[in-house]
Amino acid sequence: MLDPVILAQILWTGIATSAPYVLMTVGFALTLKVTGLWNFAHAGLMAIAFYTMYFVLDFCDLPVVAALPAALIVTGAASLAIEIFGLQVLRDRGSGNLTFFIFTLILSELIIYVITLLFGTEPETLFKSILSPVTIVANIAVSDWDELAVAVAASGLVLLYAFLTWSREGQFLNAVADNARLAELYGISAKRAWRVVSIISAVFIVASMYLIGTHGGVVPNSPLELIITAVIGTLLGGIGRVFAAAGAAVFLGLLQSFSILVIDSRWQNLLLYGVLFITILMFPRGVRLPPVRLLWAAR
Amino acid sequence: MLYTTRRTILGAATMAGLSLPSIIRAQDKESIKIGSALPLTGSQAGYGKDFDTSMRMGAADVNAAGGVNGRKVEIVALDTQAEPQLGINAANRFIGVEKMPMFYVSWSAVVKAVAPIANREKVLAINNGANSPEIATLGDYVYTTFPLADVDITKLARYVYTTLGKRRAAVLYINNDTGIDAAKLYRDTFTQAGGTIVTFEAYDPKATEFTGMLLKTRAANPDTVHIHGLTADTPQVIAQMRQLGMQQRVTSYSAAYNPKILEQLGPAAEGLIVTSLAPGVNDNKNVQKLLDEWKAAQNRVPNGLPYDQYQYDMVWLTKALYEYLDKKSLPATGDTLKEALLTQKEFDLPMTGKMIIDGHRVNKPVYLLTVEKGAFVPLATLT
Amino acid sequence: MEYLATIGVLIAIYIILSSSYDLVIGYGGLSTVAHPIFFAIGAYTAGLLAIHSGLPAVCNVILGGLAAMLASVLLAASSLRVSGDYLLIASLGFQLGLLQLIKNLDFTGGPGGLTAIPGTVTGAARTPFFLIVSGLLAVATVWGIRALVNGPYGRAITAMRDEELAFTALGRDATSMKIVIFAIGCGIAGVAGGVYAYYFQYISPDQFEVLQSAAILTMVVLGGMGTTFGPVVGAVLLLAIPQAITFLSLPPSIMAPTQGIIFTVLVLLFLFLRPAGIVGLSRKTL
Repeated sequence: MLDPVILAQILWTGIATSAPYVLMTVGFALTLKVTGLWNFAHAGLMAIAFYTMYFVLDFCDLPVVAALPAALIVTGAASLAIEIFGLQVLRDRGSGNLTFFIFTLILSELIIYVITLLFGTEPETLFKSILSPVTIVANIAVSDWDELAVAVAASGLVLLYAFLTWSREGQFLNAVADNARLAELYGISAKRAWRVVSIISAVFIVASMYLIGTHGGVVPNSPLELIITAVIGTLLGGIGRVFAAAGAAVFLGLLQSFSILVIDSRWQNLLLYGVLFITILMFPRGVRLPPVRLLWAAR
Repeated sequence: MLYTTRRTILGAATMAGLSLPSIIRAQDKESIKIGSALPLTGSQAGYGKDFDTSMRMGAADVNAAGGVNGRKVEIVALDTQAEPQLGINAANRFIGVEKMPMFYVSWSAVVKAVAPIANREKVLAINNGANSPEIATLGDYVYTTFPLADVDITKLARYVYTTLGKRRAAVLYINNDTGIDAAKLYRDTFTQAGGTIVTFEAYDPKATEFTGMLLKTRAANPDTVHIHGLTADTPQVIAQMRQLGMQQRVTSYSAAYNPKILEQLGPAAEGLIVTSLAPGVNDNKNVQKLLDEWKAAQNRVPNGLPYDQYQYDMVWLTKALYEYLDKKSLPATGDTLKEALLTQKEFDLPMTGKMIIDGHRVNKPVYLLTVEKGAFVPLATLT
Repeated sequence: MEYLATIGVLIAIYIILSSSYDLVIGYGGLSTVAHPIFFAIGAYTAGLLAIHSGLPAVCNVILGGLAAMLASVLLAASSLRVSGDYLLIASLGFQLGLLQLIKNLDFTGGPGGLTAIPGTVTGAARTPFFLIVSGLLAVATVWGIRALVNGPYGRAITAMRDEELAFTALGRDATSMKIVIFAIGCGIAGVAGGVYAYYFQYISPDQFEVLQSAAILTMVVLGGMGTTFGPVVGAVLLLAIPQAITFLSLPPSIMAPTQGIIFTVLVLLFLFLRPAGIVGLSRKTL
């Protein structure tokens, strides 16, 4: 089993399959960073994103070029609405974390119930077939979906990084993430930052649900399970560290994939929770790699 | 004075009201209510709703043929969402509110949950769709008319070894009720026949990525792969298998016998072998009638046709049970219906053919189908 | 009749669950959603002991409660070191992780659940017996919690919940108090689990998932967090109304999601318009 080709295959497929989770985790982690909230409404937004695309593709019989923008608009609008009419209202009242949690979780449930009413509970995929053409590269099977997934995730991360580092809007987000009140003193609108982040996370959600929906079946309840991975990745990466969370999501995917070499596949999910537990107990601030500079300086 | 009068009148009216139905009953031939606990909503509703429709078609046909000695049958379906707690609710309503002496139930977890109630209340609970082997041991009042996993899986495993000549089987199964028991049965039968199980892996019900497990399987070099999952994951496992270059023949069970899998897999489904516990259109001409009824009513083929055939037939089975009671002038209770079931033992049912109740089990021929040129075609009948 | 009795027992059990949950989040101010897992621990412990040991039922139920209490102490002690917010995610992870473990072990019955839990009382006396037992436990829970929070310890709890910083500054240990409250609440949930296991004689891991957490949360929020009778009202409503709705002849494909929609909408409305819940006093916000 330690054949290098097999290991390489697991590595490649593991990275590709973790791509949608990376996108989901980044959206979640960014929201947490800027708003300080564990926003479980993302599960509802994921359902909205998928079913909008499904509706456009399957009911309206329109192509992907129509489905994606439709999903972006609908999910973006929903996300913004939740921010303006839900989260901001609770903030203005000085509500505690528990209230936010209840609100976002119950809202996700409501959205999912409505979608169940409208679409039923059969597993659905965005396209009729879940097979995608495969090319063999150096003895490794690389499917078109794999390539798309990695490309979308990579470009998403790059664009986000560029945005956060070099654009004014992005820097405002950082400022608000650090200290919203202080940022306001400098004339940066926290409300605007929160709204911007709600739209950005909607984009990431649509991208991840497109990938997931073209790879396997989705039922209305799926997002509630998917979001757990986003939560764990965010925790591992450390609250406030978006790209570390992305890395954590990849790590989790690879951990599960490679673990199969050592343990039974049915224990894979348990491994995820085990990691969560160890993280909470031993790395509550996230896993931090020691700064190389300091080590060098200490020599 | 006024209050007493009102109360007295109210009391009298209530008593009269409560006794009225029994007066009517004594004069009228009341219909026989058949209780059916199924998932009409929830993740299993795709099957559950179709089962309900098929059962109602059975009821309509029974009534058209004169009912049960002149009495009409009526289906009372309650939603379980395939959840144990709701199943318990449904059972309690059938027994406590509807006063039924028997009811039909499916989905293994639900059957297990209602078993204690059926046993306590001495009401006959008949499984007509679940296949967990544990159902045969759930108690004195729990029986099955649907063959449990030890029927089709053992026959399939033997077929794979003897007729297909495979010697190295990989067994991949979903880590839940459905998968665990069946996978063990396949493994034990195949090994007993003389074969080797090279991989025996369970996957999480929520998994979507099977690369690691499939690569492990590929490295073990099987000549056949048996996948025991549900409709959501089975196509994904097969798809990923093919994409990793594994071309072995895949076998599965009745859950894979559905048209959607052909859509999702396209050419990757070629050669897939599935089991069916009910005769097909070519084996039993009544089945075409059922398909025609479905076409007329809903313009499609029902989900899980073999299961629907059982649902349809349950009404006819009920008819046979009640006719026995009428012949023997017995009241309808859990005990008498049990006697009717076990004494008669053999039933000739329109859609599924001959059914022989063997205590808490039932033995039926297993129909194998395979995918050829994008469609399911009969492969073999195993008795 | 059995049908109404089962609903009665369920209501009693859920009153116990929602009241103990209210103690934890309403009075203790601890953010956690893992209450069902302690319910599960109690149920599985009692169920397994019932099947494998010769101990009397009362013993098994109490041991179930103790097991739940122990688990909760472990969870709280490790996550509260970090922060209160962390307990939320830690508890979610704990719930899901433990359920995963239960599903993968053979002796718990695996994903199929634990069947054939032996009965206790049989015959005609069974239903009234369980109704009385669960009813008494429910009353004891509500009363006990009320007594706890209205006494001096209760004032300390309120102080800790409302102004933790000042509380600590006064020299009181907030963390151990939180652990104690959590332990009491979860232990009570464990006892409820034991009763549940004995009554239904079958438990499956799917009954203790996140949706169950949301249901208990809904009961507490609707009824009124931090009140004595709020959780009671919530439990009765959330159990009785769906049952009543099923008697209307609505098509099932509409009924189930509609019930879900009704309750989630109610919770959201209450959250925004009347955060104190049905029973709550006109306190301002949570």
